[in-house]
Amino acid sequence: MSPNASAPRLGDLERAVMEQLWASEEPAGMSVREVLAGLPAERELAYTTVMTVLDRLAKKELVTRERDGRAWRYLPAGTRESLTAETMRASLGNTTDRKAALLHFLDGATPEELDDLRAALAEVEQKRG
Amino acid sequence: MYAVLLALLALLLAGVAPRVMARLGSFRRAPRAALVAWQAVSLAAVLSALFAGPAAVASISDGTHGWFACTGEDGCAATIWWLENRRWVVLLIAGSVTLFVLGRLLLSGHRIGTRLRSARARHRELLDVLTAPEHAGRADGIRVLDHSTPTAYCLPGRRSRVVLTEGALAALPQAELDAVLAHERAHLRGRHDLLLEYFTVLHHSVPEPVRSPAALREVRLLVEALADRAAVRASGPVTTARALLTLAQGQAPEASLGAAGDGTTAVRMRLLAAEPMPSIVTLGMYLYAGAVLALPLALLWLAWR
Repeated sequence: MSPNASAPRLGDLERAVMEQLWASEEPAGMSVREVLAGLPAERELAYTTVMTVLDRLAKKELVTRERDGRAWRYLPAGTRESLTAETMRASLGNTTDRKAALLHFLDGATPEELDDLRAALAEVEQKRG
Repeated sequence: MYAVLLALLALLLAGVAPRVMARLGSFRRAPRAALVAWQAVSLAAVLSALFAGPAAVASISDGTHGWFACTGEDGCAATIWWLENRRWVVLLIAGSVTLFVLGRLLLSGHRIGTRLRSARARHRELLDVLTAPEHAGRADGIRVLDHSTPTAYCLPGRRSRVVLTEGALAALPQAELDAVLAHERAHLRGRHDLLLEYFTVLHHSVPEPVRSPAALREVRLLVEALADRAAVRASGPVTTARALLTLAQGQAPEASLGAAGDGTTAVRMRLLAAEPMPSIVTLGMYLYAGAVLALPLALLWLAWR
């Protein structure tokens, strides 16, 4: 399989697995078999595929795992909300790295700036409107 | 002689020219030409610094024409040993200057490149488990984060992403949204990330007293102004300006979280109202870029002629 064909499918699978972990109420986490059982049957996924996906997510530090006998139990590294918050912090935080890593439409604004921006908009409307 | 000129040129182009150009507000009305000029000046500064060494070597490579030319019969015989040693000193200094400049560039490039790529990789991993390529009937590949603060950005790179928040989708009417998306896609299409990375690397490889933070800020502003032109083509200047205000209003309450920008939004909005640069001036800017870039090449050629 070419990387282009597999990459989006793998992304979908990782998201589906994370959804499973987020939805789980089990404080001890889920085993590979439990995650597999929760995924839609029509995907016809192999046990090893789900194991690989969980392994990849662990490497990305999106899930944590603990040994349970001979198997692993997996937990999400954060709730959906906390990971969203981390993403937003990386995006909105005012660090030099952020400025270069992502390209924003708007580079933040302070309440004090807003009056000036409204005046600037009025100028644009008057000259180019 | 030419080595000294090249060294002076390097200082002039790295230390003085950026400070002057950062003050030329009218450059912003022709962001593409201005960015070409900025690239030419910075590249010429690098070339001058790198060429100074080889030019110094050229000045001593020919004993009869260089600095240490033999004039008298007796003097020559007596000073040959001394001259040979002088050559080694010049070669050593010239070589270390070139290697030092090259080393700083490579080190700064490596550090910044590694940091950027790992920050982007982490961000992409988070985005890819939090958002799907299709969202609520949209199939344009835009990622929508479930967050109420309106913001829009793109994650550049080989697997680039345009990202909006639910807050941005709620705040922006369709025409303003089109302006925002055109702006972000212009960043990705033009590989503005590489341009900014290039300037950031150069900025950090210039010694502290010489480097100009104003220059880096100006280049960032020019890149935004360039992407704004794509937004204007998609939605017109007034709608683009409104989109800026809409997102600024949504983000202002977040200023306490450190979301405060560098105050360039008003500048960008006023640029939307500005008349375009006369084409003769734009042409002049391109000529300036070409001339600046030709200088170090000409000096090196003269040194080795």
